[in-house]
This record gives sequence, C-alpha cells and structure tokens, in this order.
Amino acid sequence: MSATTQLPATPTPPSASSPAGGDAPRPPQRLRRGALRSERPGVRIAAWATVVVCGGFGLLPVYWLLATSLTPRDQVFSYPPKFFPSAPTLDAFAALASNEQLFGYLRNSVIVSVLTAVLSVLVSAYMGYSFSKFRYRGRRSLMYLVLASQMFPQALLLVTLYSVFSAYNLLNTYTALVLSFTTFTLPLCVWMLKGFFDTIPDELIEAARVDGASRLRIIHSIVLPLAAPGLIAAGLFAFVRGWNDFVFALTLAGPEKQTLPPGLVNTFIGEASTAWPELMAASLVVSLPVAIAFIALQKYLVGGLTAGAVKG
Amino acid sequence: MLLLLPGVALLAGVVLYPLIAALVTAFFEQSLVLPGRTFVGLQNIVEVLQGDFLRLLRQTLVFTLGTTILPFVVGFALALALNTKIRGAKVLRGLMLIPWLVPGVVVSFLWMWIFNANYGVMNALLQTLGLVDDPQAWLAQPGTAMGAVILAKTWQSFPWMMVMLLAGLQTVPVELHEAAEMDGAGTVRRFFAITMPHLKGIVGLVLLLEFIWNFQHFDIIYVLTGGGPAGATQTFATAVYETAFQGYDLGKAGALGLLWMVLLMALVVVYVRFSEKGEER
Amino acid sequence: MSTTPLMPSAVSRRRMLQLLGIGAGTAALAACAPSAPGSSTGAASAAATGGAKTDFAFSSWSFTEEAAAPALEAIVKAYQDQAGVTVKDISFPYNEYINQLTLQVKGGQFTGAAHVDVAWLGSLAAMGKLQDLSALTEGRGYTDAALAAAQFDGVQYGLPWTIGAIGLIGNSDLLEKVGVAGDAFPTTIDEFEKTLKDLKGLGGGLIPYAASTKAAQLKDALIWMETFGSPLVDGDTVTIGDDASVEAVTWYKSLYDQKLIAADVDRFDARSLFAQGRAAVYDDAPVGRGAVTEESPDKDLGSKLVPVSRPVLKAGDSPRALVWGGALAVVDGEGAETAADFAQFATSDLDTVLADYEVRGLPPVTTEAQQSEVVASDTFGTQFNERITATSTSNPFWAFTAYSQIETVVAEQVQAVLVGKTDAKTAMQKAGEAAQKLVG
Repeated sequence: MSATTQLPATPTPPSASSPAGGDAPRPPQRLRRGALRSERPGVRIAAWATVVVCGGFGLLPVYWLLATSLTPRDQVFSYPPKFFPSAPTLDAFAALASNEQLFGYLRNSVIVSVLTAVLSVLVSAYMGYSFSKFRYRGRRSLMYLVLASQMFPQALLLVTLYSVFSAYNLLNTYTALVLSFTTFTLPLCVWMLKGFFDTIPDELIEAARVDGASRLRIIHSIVLPLAAPGLIAAGLFAFVRGWNDFVFALTLAGPEKQTLPPGLVNTFIGEASTAWPELMAASLVVSLPVAIAFIALQKYLVGGLTAGAVKG
Repeated sequence: MLLLLPGVALLAGVVLYPLIAALVTAFFEQSLVLPGRTFVGLQNIVEVLQGDFLRLLRQTLVFTLGTTILPFVVGFALALALNTKIRGAKVLRGLMLIPWLVPGVVVSFLWMWIFNANYGVMNALLQTLGLVDDPQAWLAQPGTAMGAVILAKTWQSFPWMMVMLLAGLQTVPVELHEAAEMDGAGTVRRFFAITMPHLKGIVGLVLLLEFIWNFQHFDIIYVLTGGGPAGATQTFATAVYETAFQGYDLGKAGALGLLWMVLLMALVVVYVRFSEKGEER
Repeated sequence: MSTTPLMPSAVSRRRMLQLLGIGAGTAALAACAPSAPGSSTGAASAAATGGAKTDFAFSSWSFTEEAAAPALEAIVKAYQDQAGVTVKDISFPYNEYINQLTLQVKGGQFTGAAHVDVAWLGSLAAMGKLQDLSALTEGRGYTDAALAAAQFDGVQYGLPWTIGAIGLIGNSDLLEKVGVAGDAFPTTIDEFEKTLKDLKGLGGGLIPYAASTKAAQLKDALIWMETFGSPLVDGDTVTIGDDASVEAVTWYKSLYDQKLIAADVDRFDARSLFAQGRAAVYDDAPVGRGAVTEESPDKDLGSKLVPVSRPVLKAGDSPRALVWGGALAVVDGEGAETAADFAQFATSDLDTVLADYEVRGLPPVTTEAQQSEVVASDTFGTQFNERITATSTSNPFWAFTAYSQIETVVAEQVQAVLVGKTDAKTAMQKAGEAAQKLVG
C-alpha cells in the first residue's frame, strides 16, 4: 500500500463530494487520482443507468416529502395521490411558525447537540491524544474496549440508565442526554482523532517540551490547532448524533427537555389523525440545520472518517 | 493518564455499569414500575430461549445483513458512477447526501407515508405502472414488512457508504489505470485488479461499521412498524425496549440482552481481529 | 394546613388514607404556606383540599389534538383566572401516553392532574401514587355509572370526565346507497356482513368497515369476542381461547380476507378514511366526531354521522359496546392538592362542562349537565347514548394491573391470525395462556 502513504495531513481530496467546495484548491499530489479522463461508451451508459436508478431511489422520496408538505390538508388523504400538488400551499409551514411547543423542542435540540459536540470533542481529544502519543500498559486493551463499546446494545443500556438517572434525579435534564450521547460518540470520535494525532510528528511535540511547555499546554496550543480538521469532523459527528437520536431523548427526557425527534412524534402523531403536511414540513425544517452544517463542513467529516482506513 | 479520566469515567458510568447491571437483572424477576425484585435463577433465560429467541435472531440477522449489503451495493454503484466524468456528477453527489442528513425519525415518517396501504404513493405508483393490481399493505404483511423496513434503512444509509467509497476511489492513482488500459485490460479487469485492492481497507471499514450499527438499530423499526405485524420485524433492539418499557419486565429484557451479548462476543472477536490487523500495518 | 393531626376519630379509613395521602404530598408546602384559610367545610372542594392554591402540572393527550386542544386550553385558562395559579400543560400523543406517563410518574417527574383513559387506572394505581378522590365526589352530581367507571378495585382513583363508549359509527349517505336507512342498521352479524358486501359492491375502493387491524387498536377485536359470547375472563380465569373467541377471530379474519375490512388501519387511519368518504362504518368513541368532521373535505359530513348499535350474534341479544372514557386522576406530590381541586372543577363545574361540550362533544358525567339543553338537543350525542352507551360494559381486563400488557398479547395474536401467520384456534389459545400468566 505504498501509494497511500503519501497522503497529506488532511487525508481526503476536498473535491471528494462537496457540492459547495468543488473548487477548493487541491493539495499537491504526486499521483493523479480519481476519475479517468476518458471513458468508454459502455462505461458511460452504465454510469448513467446507475445514476438514474439509484438516484431515483434516493431523490423520489425527497420529492415526495416536499410535495406532501405543500399539499392542502383536505387533499392529502385522497387516493390515488396527486404526484404534483394541484393547489400547493404553504399552510403547513405557516402552522409550524405558530407552534410554540415545536420551538421548545428545537431549542432543546440545539442545546443538547451543541453541548454534546463540545464535550465529545474535548473528552475524545484527550483520550485520542493519550492513545496516540503515549505508551503504557493496558493501552491496547483500553483502546479495544473503547472501540467495542459501540457494539453494546444501547436499548439494553437504556433500561439501567433510566434507573440510574432517576436515582440521581437527572431524568428530564439536559445532563442526562448530553452525558449519554457523548459516551456513545466516543468510540468513533476517539478513533478519528487518534488518526489525526498520529499524523502529527513526535518531533514537534518533543521540541515544545524542550522549550519547557507543560503537557496540557502542548495539547491545547500545539496539538489541537494542528488537528483542527479532525476536531471539526468529530464535533460534527457528535452533533448529528445528538440531533438525530430518538430513543434516548424519548425515554430519558420528559416533555420539557425533549428534542425534536421525539417532539415530532409527540406533536404530529395525535389521537385524532396524523397531520402529514405539517409533519413533512416540520421534517424538512428539522433536516435543514444538519444539512447546512454538513454541506459546509463535510470535507472534514469525510476526511476524519476515512483517516484511519485510507491510511491503511 | 489523567487525559483518559473523563472518557473512562463516562464509559464506565454510561456503558459498563448499566450493561452489567442490566445483565444481572436477567436472573431476577423485576418490574420497571413496582419496587423490589426476587432471584429466579435461569428462569428468564429459559423462557426467552423457549420463546421466540430464534425468530428474533433470524430477523435481527436478516435486518442487519440486508441493511448492510443493500446500501453498500447502491452506494458503491453510485460512487463508481459518480466517479466517472458524467455531467452533473458534482451536483448529484450533493443531492444524494440528503437522505443521510434526514433524522431517523423523519425517515420513518416519510416511508410510513410512502408505504401506507390506503393512501400511500408507493401503491399509486405501482398501480400506475401496472405492477400490482390492488393496493398492498407493505408494512402490515409479514412477507413484505421486513423488506420495507430494510428499504427505508437503505435509503438512509446508502449516501454515507457512497461518500466513503467515493473518497476511497479518489485515492486510486489514475496512472495505474492508464497503464493497464494501454496493456489492454478492460474496465472490469481493471476494476478488480486495481480499484478493488485500493479500496479493500475502506470497504472493510464501512461494512463493519454498518454491521455493528445495524445490529442494534432501533429508531426506524420502532417508528415504522413497532416490530409488527405480529412481530415480523422485531429485532433484539426493539424487543428489549418493548419488554422493558412497555411490558415493564426488566428480568426478561435483561435475559434477552444477556443472550444478545453472548452473540456479540463472537462479533467482538472478529472486530478486535480486524482492528488489530489495521493497527499492525 | 393542620388537618392531619387533628383528625376526628370517627372519620372513615378511606378518608383518612386520602387525607394522609394529601398530607404527605403537601408536607413540604405546608411549612411555607400562608396561614390556613380557616375551616371551610362548606364547599366540598375546599374541605378536601384546603390550603393555599399552588401551581401544578396537567397532562393530557388532547393537547396534541387540533380539534380538542382549544377546549382544554379554555378550561385551564378559566381555572387559572379563578384560582390565581399557573397550570403547566404537558402532552403526549394518545398511543404513547400511558407509557410516557408511567415513566414520568415512576421517576417522580410528574405530579399533578393527569387525564387518563379509564382503562389505565389500574396500572397507574399499582404504582401507589394516585390519590383516592372519593371525598371530592360528594354533592357534585356525578352519575353513579360515571363514578363507577373511574374506580379501580372499589377506590375512586379518578374523577370521571367524559364517560361514553366505543361503538360503530356509520356514514348515512353511503349506507343509504345500499338501502340501509340510518335507523335500520343490520342487527345481526350475518346481516351486517351482507351490508358490508353490498357496500364493497359500490366499488371505488370503498372500505366497507374500517375496523382496526394495526396492533395498537386491535383491542377492538375484544368486543367482537364478547359479541360472539366469550366472557373474556371469568373470575381469575381468562377464557380467551374458548369457542366464542375463536369464532369471533375467524369471522374477523374472513372479513379481512374478503377485503370488507382493510389492512394497516388504526383509529387514526380509520378516521381519515371515514372523513374522506372512503369508509362507510368504523369504530369510535364520541370524540371521533370532532376529528372526522374537522378533517373532511365534505363540510356536511357532521350531519351524515350515525351512531349505530353493534350487531349481535342472534337476534334479541343485547348489543355490546365497550365503556370508554376519560377521567382525571391526581398524582401525589407537588401541586397535587390544587390539581385535585382543578380536576373537580374541570369535570363538574356546569359552565365549564357545557363550554367543553360545545367544542369536544364528549358525554358529560353530571346529571345536571346531561339534562342541559345543549346536551339533550344534540342528536348525535343522544343517539350515541341510546344505541351504544346504554348497553356498554367495561372491559373485564381493566380489573387487572397488567391490563395493557394483556391487551397487547391478545392484539398480537389477533394480528398474527389476520396476516395469516397462524390459525385462529392456536392463536387464541396462545393469547389466552399469555393473558392468564399476566392475570396471575
């Protein structure tokens, strides 16, 4: 795998899949990678066929999400449904704007996700740094334990966590959610960050130590800034975990502290009937922040996730 | 060493202790809502084993394998297609990410709506195309429910696979392909001789991670079918949750979890082997 | 707030327990409460609750429902103005409600007034945190039937709020198309099935009977088992698995196979289908009226709704209907005392109840309200009462704390039959055994 060892510190070519960042400057590379300049016609046809079939699978539901959100309430249950809404309306979105409860859930989601991201990055940076730069007994076992912990069934953990948080009066608090989410993001974040720290030359750290910098100082003012892309990747990953989680937020947080996913269930799946247009409109709105954050920062996330694997 | 403290404390408090405590309840009769518990030995475990444990195992495996392989196929196909120089590839790459960015609950709602037996667009589409005569209750027939759930999960996770594989494809040196082409190697041959070896690491990684995540996936199944109809889409994850939080039977939930963990141990061995290999290289 | 230590010796045990319950819940408040408002033995409410009013939480699934929420908000507002306290609204959707409320009560996060389905009283009471509200019922005009519906094990764990039943509701327009006039609905199961077939014959994708077929509301099948003559439970012995229950499920399955009932339908789907004119008959409580008319493109649907008696096995049998209703229970703890006062206000204050009726149209529980002009002149309401509520009985499983788990196991087995995974006899035997285990 000699070819892959020449990757720059930011491990992935930024053009990889960024719709926004397609024109970002490529890092210098000795070998050209990626697509061939010319393809045979057969390949082109196959490529197009794939795009049509798989692309249709990917995008038609998105279209339907949008179409439903624009359908008037009294038409939504007609069958066969209209593939193109005949009288599109923004009523559903207007209804959202006046739904205070939903804003509460949104606020909770933002708070919980941001706190989770920050805490995850801090904790996993320390841990990843320790795994990357120090050698001690039990290091390997601990690393495997951390990695393996994402395999433990979370539905099962929830059973006891519920009682534990209940005993410490932490049910219905942000703390309960942030602590759980942070822990569940640790394995991947630690692993991603360790990959980044591995690329930081030991000489740099040695030099700083010779200059008399303390260990924490080295971490905070030298290592972390160098690993900034990794930190962003880890933070983004943790944010998304907090934003998307359903079952923990449903079980550990009461109506006051619940985040959007269970909030949506509670708001729109009522006894009377399901308000599909509103639900779809809310779904769109919920997905937006993640989409924006992701599209802005995605090259880091992909880079972080592939760091270990591409490094080989 | 102090650097490890926060992480280790979190793991111990949020994962290890609850895990062990939950496994211990497997040997007790304990209710979620009533105080007290009594030791019952292996009774819970025996009951679970005599119950539908094998069915749960089979369904969990079907779900896990389905939701690992199908998104991989779709994601890989798209990655390969979008790695060619077709027009609009960049825009498409961006658009294809949307399903991944949608929260799991929303994915479930959307597909619940699409699959709905009485006003779903899936039936309308298939009827228009003449593929089915009568509207089908996709989520309410044991024969189709699991497939429907897998399809919804596939829709959510294929973009992630695509992104990872695309990133991998971008690292394949073009010169190698060009040289091979000059030597007369066809597209298929070059794919297996050059592309695949380069992607081995990343393919292994995405498959492994997806498998692990899907093995305990909860959200989409729970919201889409709640494990039904007649338990046809129940997996370990939903079964444990339902037993504990709707049946209030902590002992049985613990027993289910214990058996699940035993199975996982086998997986851990594979996982550790894999990580070890990565570490040595 | 010193009622507890000065307990007269003649007081009944139940009353004492009730006071102790309130005393314990409010001990912390008592310490800082302003001077007691003297002995106010006059009004029943003040006698039982006494003390200064405090803020409390009120949970109801109806807050999540567009049609019903305004009624609740009005009640809460009226009470806030009158008592000078703040009421915190809490809501979970109906299908998640009992699980969520149980978790909240168990963890101690929820105290105050809780809107509950009368079916849930048993399992909530088992947690030991519901107050006995019997003292609050005196002199408020609750009907005996309503009071009985909100009791569990003889204890008044809830104040009845809207006690009615679940019965069949038809669309008179569609029924007339097959020659069935509103008051000539088939009385026997055979005739009923024939009518359903006629309706199916109308074509256009019409679902004759939007019966529940999703697990969440498959408990509706229980009433058909009773119609076929199964007692469901006899003393402590579950009788599901007897011939009657097997016949009922076999019949239900045959409707399913003939597509006279549709797959993938729960109460919400049924209402949507009915509102769209795509279903002719469905099962619902009076609360459904608001939901279906609100959502329907047919602004005239309200006048086409007819409550009808459930068909019986043999002509002359008494039609079966399931008691269904809402009660207000009070969970011990912070604010419980005022919450109890609120519960009494919401369920028995005449003006409040009548204003509520205008919006939700749910059967009131006091004699005074039932005889009022507003209620008596409502055709749908009175028909519903005469044809459905009059012969309604409560679900015998409600007497057991594991009632909701019992329902779940039965529903799962009925579903297994519907989707063809197993035959009715095996499934009902299995359901009976599983239910028996839960009964203890």
